[in-house]
Amino acid sequence: ALYSQPSTPKLFLSKPFVEASLVKGSLKTLVLLPKYLDVMEWVAMSMFDFYNNVNLFYGAVSEHCTAKDCPTMTAGDQLVYTWVDNNNKHVKLPASTYIDYVFTWIQALLEDQSIFPTRAGVPFPANFPSTCKHMYRQMLRVFAHLYQAHFEDILHLRIEPHLNSLFAHYLVFGQEFDILDQKELRGPSSTPTGIGYLYDAWRTSGKLD
Amino acid sequence: GQGDKNKDDYVYFNRSTAGFSDEAVPKAKAAQLKLEHYYKLAVEAAVERNGRRVELERKLAADPNMSDERKQKQLQALGKKESTFLRLKRTKLGLDDFRTVKVIGKGAFGEVRLVQKLDTGKIYAMKSLHKNEMLKRDQLAHVRAERDVLAESNSPWVVQLFYSFQDSAYLYLVMEFLPGGDLMTMLIKYDTFSEDVTRFYMAECVLAIEAVHKLGFIHRDIKPDNILIDKDGHIKLSDFGLSTGFHKQHDSAYYQKLLDSANGVQQSAAPARNSVMVNPIHLTVSSKDQIATWKANRRKLAYSTVGTPDYIAPEIFLMQGYSNECDWWSLGAIMFECLVGYPPFCSENTHETYKKILDWRNHLIFPDDVHLSRESEEMIRGLLTSQNVRLNVEQIKNHSFFYGVEWDAIREIDAPFVPHLRSITDTSYFPDDQLDAVPDRPSGTDTSGNKDLAFLGYTFKRFNLTDKAL
Ligand SMILES: Nc1ncnc2c1ncn2[C@@H]1O[C@H](COP(=O)(O)OP(=O)(O)OP(=O)(O)O)[C@@H](O)[C@H]1O
Repeated sequence: ALYSQPSTPKLFLSKPFVEASLVKGSLKTLVLLPKYLDVMEWVAMSMFDFYNNVNLFYGAVSEHCTAKDCPTMTAGDQLVYTWVDNNNKHVKLPASTYIDYVFTWIQALLEDQSIFPTRAGVPFPANFPSTCKHMYRQMLRVFAHLYQAHFEDILHLRIEPHLNSLFAHYLVFGQEFDILDQKELRGPSSTPTGIGYLYDAWRTSGKLD
Repeated sequence: GQGDKNKDDYVYFNRSTAGFSDEAVPKAKAAQLKLEHYYKLAVEAAVERNGRRVELERKLAADPNMSDERKQKQLQALGKKESTFLRLKRTKLGLDDFRTVKVIGKGAFGEVRLVQKLDTGKIYAMKSLHKNEMLKRDQLAHVRAERDVLAESNSPWVVQLFYSFQDSAYLYLVMEFLPGGDLMTMLIKYDTFSEDVTRFYMAECVLAIEAVHKLGFIHRDIKPDNILIDKDGHIKLSDFGLSTGFHKQHDSAYYQKLLDSANGVQQSAAPARNSVMVNPIHLTVSSKDQIATWKANRRKLAYSTVGTPDYIAPEIFLMQGYSNECDWWSLGAIMFECLVGYPPFCSENTHETYKKILDWRNHLIFPDDVHLSRESEEMIRGLLTSQNVRLNVEQIKNHSFFYGVEWDAIREIDAPFVPHLRSITDTSYFPDDQLDAVPDRPSGTDTSGNKDLAFLGYTFKRFNLTDKAL
């Protein structure tokens, strides 16, 4: 392949699965801010939709995401995500707990009228972009966990074309609005994480253009 | 070489759902379907949004008199409107956003309520449809079609839909409220109409039915209950219960299949039921007080789950294929009722009615004690006749019964009965009998999540009316 491969082969990087997709054509056309539209509204709606959609996939495999099966929130062979608790301490959590925290937190943000206003005339807060960046990073980790730990489940359930399209869409969106942090795709020694390899593979094949 | 490398990459994976619980598979199926639906809608929305922008840009470019500054302002205004619409899409509407003012009607699968949207104070009619009941009766296409027609049309002849949403037990359609009641209530009140009054309603119905046909639909269920009266006394059609969108790809069989496959049910070979359901509802009709008896039972029949077969064309029962002519038959039956006081084939029970409709040649009888003009009788006979010789829309419009009707201006003329309304929530044109027992709020019963699959994509918000919607 034209891109580098992790030391242990990954199913999600293998053919035909790496190429499976529901949506054909340029995802960018779906992501670009339509002319004259308010960028905040556009990003807000997109985040809202991504959250609902990623939830569907985690929901489908969640019965295999137990504290026993996934004792930590891993996203690469070496990378473990930690959750910052109320006392600002980094804690390692079982993936299911971590993801539950992420979803609960995002859900609360989406329902918070001062952050995601739905009433007419109410503006978005000044820190809306940074809040979105934050949300984006946490959801990216959920995707990472789905690929890293549950891709076999995804294959058994025949939803890999769907997950791939959603994730590719997510990456294109993150790039376009500059909330995708490259650091999140690279491990400690600058080698890609699982989804980092996927990102590179898709970039090479033009899927993210 | 590169090719060999690619070959090496190819992995065969044995798929099996053996390791999953009974819930996981339908959840995965739902994820698939919802995502497919999501992308389909996203593309549609992008195309439509783009169309609106290009259209406005084209219009502005063609206007030499407007200043560039004003043109820019208009484009910004469109952007604002579109942005507001995105916000509306994030807004979760639910029952809690509405207050029931009054129950105003009852249909086969739930009730119709006059409601007020709490944040704006706007008044709407909200129809609730019980999901379980609908699934039991294979009425999925029903809702879908109803929503599609209402949602897609901006026609003045069709009741507008503003929102739709669902909870575990019900689907909700939030529509414009038509304060004048319906033609059934009016017929119960007046027994019969004069030929002039009949001409007015029939002419409006002709245009309304034509509008539905032009949208690509056959209504199939035109009856006085579905002809609603607006605040000025003009009519609009509601309840596309049975309408089949022949340009729509999905029918109830499609949804039932989705549901079955999600639930792991094997496909059965039995065809989806297409026939009209039969329930014994007994009407006692003696020739002398036909009108009175008919009236007494009429509303009960309207509230029943079967509905009345009185207006249904014979070819529909025969199930040998039908087309939009069947709606003109219904119009003929309604016209008969307007002039005579009861529909032409009404009988002791629905079974008798079916038989009479199928044998219409021997049962279409104009009573001696009611005088009808030659044109009226001719018109009715031109509609209540076999499919192949039934009048078409042009022949109907040019028929001597409609002599003098100004087809292009009829909605602008004064209607024969204009409702006298004291307020925007005046419900005096709706019967209160038999509705007292209906609770203010639909009582939620829990249904299993799987069923929602059938109602996928049900949620709707109207775009062009954001000012009204917010
Ligand atoms: N938009 C509306 N404004 C005012 N009244 C309405 C409106 N929609 C429905 N109604 C009232 O509620 C009654 C029942 O509505 P509708 O006929 O749509 O119910 P339904 O469930 O479709 O019944 P069916 O399928 O048996 O015809 C109507 O006859 C009418 O009186």
